[in-house]
Amino acid sequence: MALKRINKELTDINRDPPVGFSAGPVGEDLFKWRATIMGPQDSPYKDGVFFLNIHFPTDYPFKPPKVNFVTKIFHPNINSDGSICLDILRDQWSPALTVTKVLLSISSLLTDPNPDDPLVPEIANMYKTDRAKYEELARQWTREYANLDRQQTNPVG
Amino acid sequence: MSSEISTVSSHPDDQYGPLPSGWEARIDSGGRRYYVNHNNRTTQWNHPNAPARQSTQVVPQRPPQPTPSQVASRTLVDDVLESNNAGLSTSHNPASLASNTNGLPPGWEQRFTPTGRPYYVDHTSRTTTWIRPPGSAPDTGSTSGNQLGPLPAGWEMRLTSTGRVYFVDHNTKTTTWDDPRLPSSLDQNVPQYKRDFRRKLIYFRSQPAMRTQAGNCQIRVRRNHLFEDSYAEIMRQPPSELKKRLMIKFDGEDGLDYGGVSREFFFLLSHEMFNPFYCLFEYSAHDNYTLQINPASGVNPEHLNYFRFIGRVTGLAIFHRRFLDAYFIISFYKMVLKKKVTLSDLESVDAELYRGLKWMLENDITDVLDETFSTTEERFGEMFTIDLCPKGSEIPVTEENKADYVNAVVHYRIQKRVKEQFDAFMAGFNELAPQDLVMVFDERELELLIGGMSEIDVDDWNKFTDYRGYEVNDTVIQWFWKIVRSWPPEKKSRLLQFATGTSRIPVNGFKDLQGSDGPRRFTIEKSGDPSQLPKSHTCFNRIDLPPYTSMEMMEQKLTLAVEETMGFGQE
Repeated sequence: MALKRINKELTDINRDPPVGFSAGPVGEDLFKWRATIMGPQDSPYKDGVFFLNIHFPTDYPFKPPKVNFVTKIFHPNINSDGSICLDILRDQWSPALTVTKVLLSISSLLTDPNPDDPLVPEIANMYKTDRAKYEELARQWTREYANLDRQQTNPVG
Repeated sequence: MSSEISTVSSHPDDQYGPLPSGWEARIDSGGRRYYVNHNNRTTQWNHPNAPARQSTQVVPQRPPQPTPSQVASRTLVDDVLESNNAGLSTSHNPASLASNTNGLPPGWEQRFTPTGRPYYVDHTSRTTTWIRPPGSAPDTGSTSGNQLGPLPAGWEMRLTSTGRVYFVDHNTKTTTWDDPRLPSSLDQNVPQYKRDFRRKLIYFRSQPAMRTQAGNCQIRVRRNHLFEDSYAEIMRQPPSELKKRLMIKFDGEDGLDYGGVSREFFFLLSHEMFNPFYCLFEYSAHDNYTLQINPASGVNPEHLNYFRFIGRVTGLAIFHRRFLDAYFIISFYKMVLKKKVTLSDLESVDAELYRGLKWMLENDITDVLDETFSTTEERFGEMFTIDLCPKGSEIPVTEENKADYVNAVVHYRIQKRVKEQFDAFMAGFNELAPQDLVMVFDERELELLIGGMSEIDVDDWNKFTDYRGYEVNDTVIQWFWKIVRSWPPEKKSRLLQFATGTSRIPVNGFKDLQGSDGPRRFTIEKSGDPSQLPKSHTCFNRIDLPPYTSMEMMEQKLTLAVEETMGFGQE
């Protein structure tokens, strides 16, 4: 059942903390987690700290977890609601995947956006035609919204 | 052949062009076209774009009579269940479905004696006669079904285990698929499928248990209390009363029930009964219109009585040849027919869980899945663990027993958790539609029996189709649409069921077709080898069509694919 598997993933994360992100339950409810991803060094999101909500369905891991950005981010595959366009969160999900693997994929999506399957066509278009402008805006949003001090003084969620 | 048949779908009303938004064309049990206005939930006989002089009255208490020219050209359309032979259509009809007022002058009704002989009721003078009244249209419906009259002496009609009708000639001790009452030359060139909806219906309708009893059954309801009043009226009567001729009366309204009132009654009542607001049924994950039993219906302590009532109304509609405006997920029909529900049936209920379980069967789960024979369910925000078998939460799922686990999950999700509700539904349903008779149909035919057949607009279908790997002008695609156009209405519905899981068309046409993940237009994808059959993905309203090398080959493969019912061979 879901709870057993979620507990196992939590134990694994605590025993061997991944580099660049963290994740764990928000409160008593083990089905609701909060994750943080550090902006990858080789991306315009560098130095940003991004918060995400993870919601496990009761049928986890048969069904994928629901993952959303809480922190605003300028990215072709992430929209203003924080929804993420990532195949493994949809029809390419497999029970062999874990939260750690999902967060790794999201992290690499920040480094390598996929403008051919965009959630925000305007940003995808800019990414393809005017990379410098895209990077500038992504950096600007990161400074503005993914600033740790600021997010702590204005708690999210 | 196909050029002849393409006229089947033409209709005099076609001259009025496409329907306005919110309108739908449907075919009643007698094969007559009528129009549903979903905007204000009314029905009428006339095309909404037809000139007003044709009395476009809303909700006719008595349908306006068609003009003789309309009747003459309607014979082909009437023939909704005709097999794939246009020559048959003019000489005999699936007339067990013929409407009582078919082509008769106002005030007249056609009825049948218990032996199947037609007679005519003049409601104006309250007299009856054997002679068809002058001024009526040619009787298109007198030569088939139970109206074909009794079988010749020594003959008997029977069903095979798969529900196909055959005939026993006890005189010569031989059997035949051909109905001895039909001229033999007619049936010679008709391709005989294993499945023959028309014959099954004839058989079904001709059974004593499905015959209307003598007398009337009055049902009086208030329009604005339709659900409660209908519940009280229909549940207070024994089933034997409900088998009498229905006389529905809306409180405070004139108008005798010559068919129009009861048609409207069942239409409106189905909207009430299946309204998710009552928590008895809910829309499936597949789209926003196919229905499934709401597992949480117990919030209403009276829910089982209501399921029994809904079952009774469904049986009542079938018994009295009325349709409900309701479409269920395919596994619901399979359950009615006591067929085994399989993993593929879960796809339309819960596509994500389906994918997860399928993955589990196809991959080694050792050290990946740590499950027991139990499942977790959320009810009103609280988590419950349910054992899938005795002490299930103590039995680990392994590589060896994972198939049993998948079966147990599917069975629980689709059947077990709504068993009480479903059993109550069936108890009411079987009071009017006996199980052994209903069993002649397969699940797709049952959907048409309950929900009726919409007239499919192939132009609209074609217009809102996407292609993957094919182009619109490819020969294979041209063949596809040519074949679809040539098919009779029931086979078109069957193709739609094959591709989308239901014969229902969205109110505003194919452009609004929904998949499990939102709007999904019908899609034809180039996939597979020409030696294979087309495959369908009902979640995505898609068919995989191999690049066949001839139109004949495509028609044959497509026919096989839509005629074969999933799960038929798996039992």
